[in-house]
Parts: sequence; structure tokens; C-alpha cells
Amino acid sequence: MRNPITQLTGQQGLTPVTTIIALLALASLYAIPCFVESPYALHIMILLFLSTIMGEGWNIIGGYAGQYSVGHAAYFGAGAYGTLILLNMKGIPPWYGVWAGIGAAVILSLIIGNICFRLRGPYFVLASIAVAEIVRLTVLNIPSITNGAEGILLSDLPPFKIGERVITDFISKVPFYYIGLTLAVFTILVTWLIQNSKLGYYFQAIREDQDAAHSLGINLNFYKNVALAISASLTSLAGAFYAIYVKFIDPTTVLPLDLSVQIVLIAIIGGIGTIFGPVIGALVLVPLSEALRSNVIAQSLINSGLVKEDSGMGVFLKEHLAHAHVLIYGILVVVVILFMPDGVLGFIKKLAARRKRGDA
Amino acid sequence: MALLEIKNVSKFFGGLAANADVSFAMEAGMIMGLIGPNGAGKTTLFNCITGYYPPSRGEVLFKGMKMNGLEPDRVCKLGMARTWQKVRPLAKMSVVDNVMVGALCRTNSLKKARELAMEQIRVVRLDHKIDFPAGGLTIGERKKLEVARVLATRPELLLLDEVMGGLNPAESDEIIRLILDIKKQGITQMVIEHDMKAIMRISDRIVVLNSGEKLAEGSPEEIVANPEVIAAYLGSD
Repeated sequence: MRNPITQLTGQQGLTPVTTIIALLALASLYAIPCFVESPYALHIMILLFLSTIMGEGWNIIGGYAGQYSVGHAAYFGAGAYGTLILLNMKGIPPWYGVWAGIGAAVILSLIIGNICFRLRGPYFVLASIAVAEIVRLTVLNIPSITNGAEGILLSDLPPFKIGERVITDFISKVPFYYIGLTLAVFTILVTWLIQNSKLGYYFQAIREDQDAAHSLGINLNFYKNVALAISASLTSLAGAFYAIYVKFIDPTTVLPLDLSVQIVLIAIIGGIGTIFGPVIGALVLVPLSEALRSNVIAQSLINSGLVKEDSGMGVFLKEHLAHAHVLIYGILVVVVILFMPDGVLGFIKKLAARRKRGDA
Repeated sequence: MALLEIKNVSKFFGGLAANADVSFAMEAGMIMGLIGPNGAGKTTLFNCITGYYPPSRGEVLFKGMKMNGLEPDRVCKLGMARTWQKVRPLAKMSVVDNVMVGALCRTNSLKKARELAMEQIRVVRLDHKIDFPAGGLTIGERKKLEVARVLATRPELLLLDEVMGGLNPAESDEIIRLILDIKKQGITQMVIEHDMKAIMRISDRIVVLNSGEKLAEGSPEEIVANPEVIAAYLGSD
């Protein structure tokens, strides 16, 4: 029998049962738009996919290679801006433009990596924040290309054609649902491939002990840069998807520090260094932020009679809770770090393992 | 030609000479003991040889190649590997995964790496712990893991930094047997150790360092009879 802690690191192969469950889940996810018509429900699902892509992207450098970059908004922004600038200025459709976005993110990641990977631990974190802020300010201050603080509004998304046949004209949310789902599955697949390759072993060795890794023949600089480049390209993919879905980007929505932090949280809350951690993180964070935004939590507290509507608390909840999502995130992170250091996924696995031992 | 040649190596930290003008050579297949009181510069010399510190002066020649300025990963690829005095297990990874990281130095295939790793795990007798996380091992097991991992990189020259430190006599005996087994495989070793009995038993030659300088070099019998060495260890009048 495998030791429970080994299971946390997720180094086990696929069993037939889990494979079948995964395939069934995937098939039903692809079937959902046939049954669900509510645009809001599809919107939430699309946000889930977006968060999953970002979280999985960060997980490669942060979770596997252990380099906590808090500047991933830079790559998200590179994907978003790269795609929309080409579309708006040259009329290049996004499914070609996205490659430019990914290319920009990879080049950016190599520059950032070569500067920041000289530093370790908290110094690396600070450097990654600083460089992302430099990128944001640069984009803000070259309006001739990026339209500066006004941002870029996408007026016209060309229909996607194969030959002469129009596959989709992007009027409804359904095509975005399928793009998001496919990209999310793709990033999970990439993560799985990495975990089951030399790269995965080397990334984790670097995370566990850089000096030991170095002495075992691992070129630290090279492998950290590889991890960051893969991570950056997945994150830029999320940025490009966001840009064509929301159809408006500016430096405060696609390049802020907030976003960098949020990307990190998806992985940390779900469970870093695991394939499905970021998926769990997205499942926790997206509904939470939506609930806060639509004031569901405050309203239900008042309706249940726990808080009186006209009391000071009630007024506060009604007026301000929607704006307090950062506060709630902060509390959530503290709770997760204190009580579930391996994230929600690690916590669940630990509980399951304890149960199993109790039965035996 | 000597496998490893150390020529006038010095290492300064500010004004302090951690190593001063150390020279000696090692033939292939031998076990060289490196001893000296605390702070004599043994680990610093290891770090200079394996690329963690560039020597301030002097040369390190491995198979005739100049190693100064090479990064530790290059040094490892060239066939020189080291263990750490303070063990460095990859705590969240299992024992077999730890050793596989070493084996992946010579192959890109996980399957081959696993076979290689299992072989080395059997050599150090950790077979019963393959799926345990390295962070949960006892100190004796961690030292063995360290040796298995470094053996998996297929070194020609192995530098062992106090692999017996902190072990009980039974565990130390096991390590001694292990070091002699490794010698039989034809791997050259340089061993830092504080346990004099052990070092006298396994070493073909011994170098004594004291305050960064080479105090003596010779066979174990010559070293125990050397009055300077006795003075350095016991203090003179």
C-alpha cells in the first residue's frame, strides 16, 4: 500500500476506475450547453474554466518548481494585449493572434526569469511583483500601441470559419464555453504530462531543495526558465481567452497586482503541486466571488434572521460586503494556510487517508 | 594520471583563509580520508572541488580537466558527485523519486531511471521504504538515501561528507560496509569523517587539514604515528 503522504504529491498512475470517471465527467461537461440555456450559468462555467487555466498555469512554476511568482498578471496581460492589438490594428483573427500573445509572454518570461531567478525565496517574490508592475506601467504609457488607460474595446470578432463554412459567429456564450473547456482540459493535460516526465521530477527537486538539486546534475537556471516559460504561455492563453470573451481590456483589469495575487490564490487554496488543485481552487473561489458580488451572502444572512436589516451590521453587510471580497479572500487564505497547508485537495485526501486507516 | 588533482587551492572569506595552499592527488579506485578538527576547512574544500565555491586561488583537475568555475550540475555530469553533511532529502518526494532525480542525470526515460534507482536503493538496503516520503525517514535512513541518490548519478568520484555523523554504532558499521561495497564497484571516494576508528579502517590514504592548511598526508599507519597530527587533535603542551 502506498503511504498517504506520497499520495499527496500525486505520483500515482491512473487506475481504470479513475480514468472512466474522468472521461464521464468530461463528456458531461461537453454536453452541458445542450441542456443549460441560462447565459448566467454558462458565464459562471466560463469563469471557472478561466480560473482553472490561470491556476494550472501558475501551478507549473509555483506549485511544481516552487518559485512563487506574484507577477503572473504580466503574462496574462501579454496574452490579452497581444491578441487584441493584432485583431484591432491589423484585423488578424484571435486564433492566429494568440500565438503572438504567447510568444510575447514567453519572451517576457525569459527576460524576467533571467533577472529574477538569481534571487531566492522572498526576494524572488518581490522581484516578480516589481517586474509585473513595470510591465503594467509600460503598457499604460505607450498609448500609441496599447491605447493607454483607455484600454482596447473589441468591436468586431470575426466569425470562425473552416474553408467557407462558418463554424461559429460568437454571438452566444456557447462557443466561449467550448473554447474555455477545451483550453482548461488542455492545461490539465499539459500538467499531467509534465508531472509524468523528467521535467516534473526536476521541477519538484528544485522546489524541495535547490542546492541538492544542483548537486544532482540539475541546471537550476535552465529548468527554472523552462518552468516559467511553460507557466507564462498557459497564463497568456487565459489572457487571450479573457480578452475575446469580455471584449474589453485595460491595464487595471488585465495587468494589476490584484490579478497576480488572485492567480496565486487559485492554486494555493486548491492545493499546489497537484494536477487537480487549481480546479478545486477555481471551484471554491469563483462561486465565492460571484456570491459576494451579487450580495447573496449578505442577503441570506439578513433573510435568515441572523442579522437585522436595519442594524449597523445589516447596513454594513448590504452596502459594503460586495466590495469586501479582498477582505474575505484574505481571511480565506489565512484559514487555508493555517488549517490546510496542502490546500483543500490535500486536506480532503488527508481526511480520506485517516478514514481508511480508521477502518483498517 | 591522477583522477583528481588539487593544486595549491586557497579559499578566502574576507581576510579568513578557510583553505590555504592545499595540494594533493588521488588515484582511481582508492578511498581517501579527509580529516581534521572542527573548522579545519574540510567541507569548504569539498565545496571548492564540486563547484559550490570558486577557489580563490589554485586549480582543481578532474581527469585532467580544469574544474574551476564550473557549476555543480556540470561537475555532476562530468562524474563527480557529493553528499551533504547536513542531509538534504527532497522531503515531499518518496524515496524512489528522490533516487530517480539522481538517475535522471544519465537518462531521459523515467522507466530506466526507476530501474537504476531501484538498483541503488537495494545497494543501500532501503527497499522496504521505497514509497515513503523522504521527509519521514530516520537520520540513518536519510544518510543512506543521500548515498543512493548520489550513486544513481553514476559518479566516478564520490565525495562523502560525514555520512556517519549522528549515527549509532550499528548504523555506522552498515555505512562502512556500504563504502567498501562502493569501492568494489570501482568508484573512487573521498570521505570526510570524524570517527577515527572508521576512517582508519576504510582509507587507503589520509589527508589531515588543520586551520585550512594541509598538515599531513600518508597511509593510516603513518598518520596515527605523526606527532603533528596528535598535537593538532589532542593539543600540545
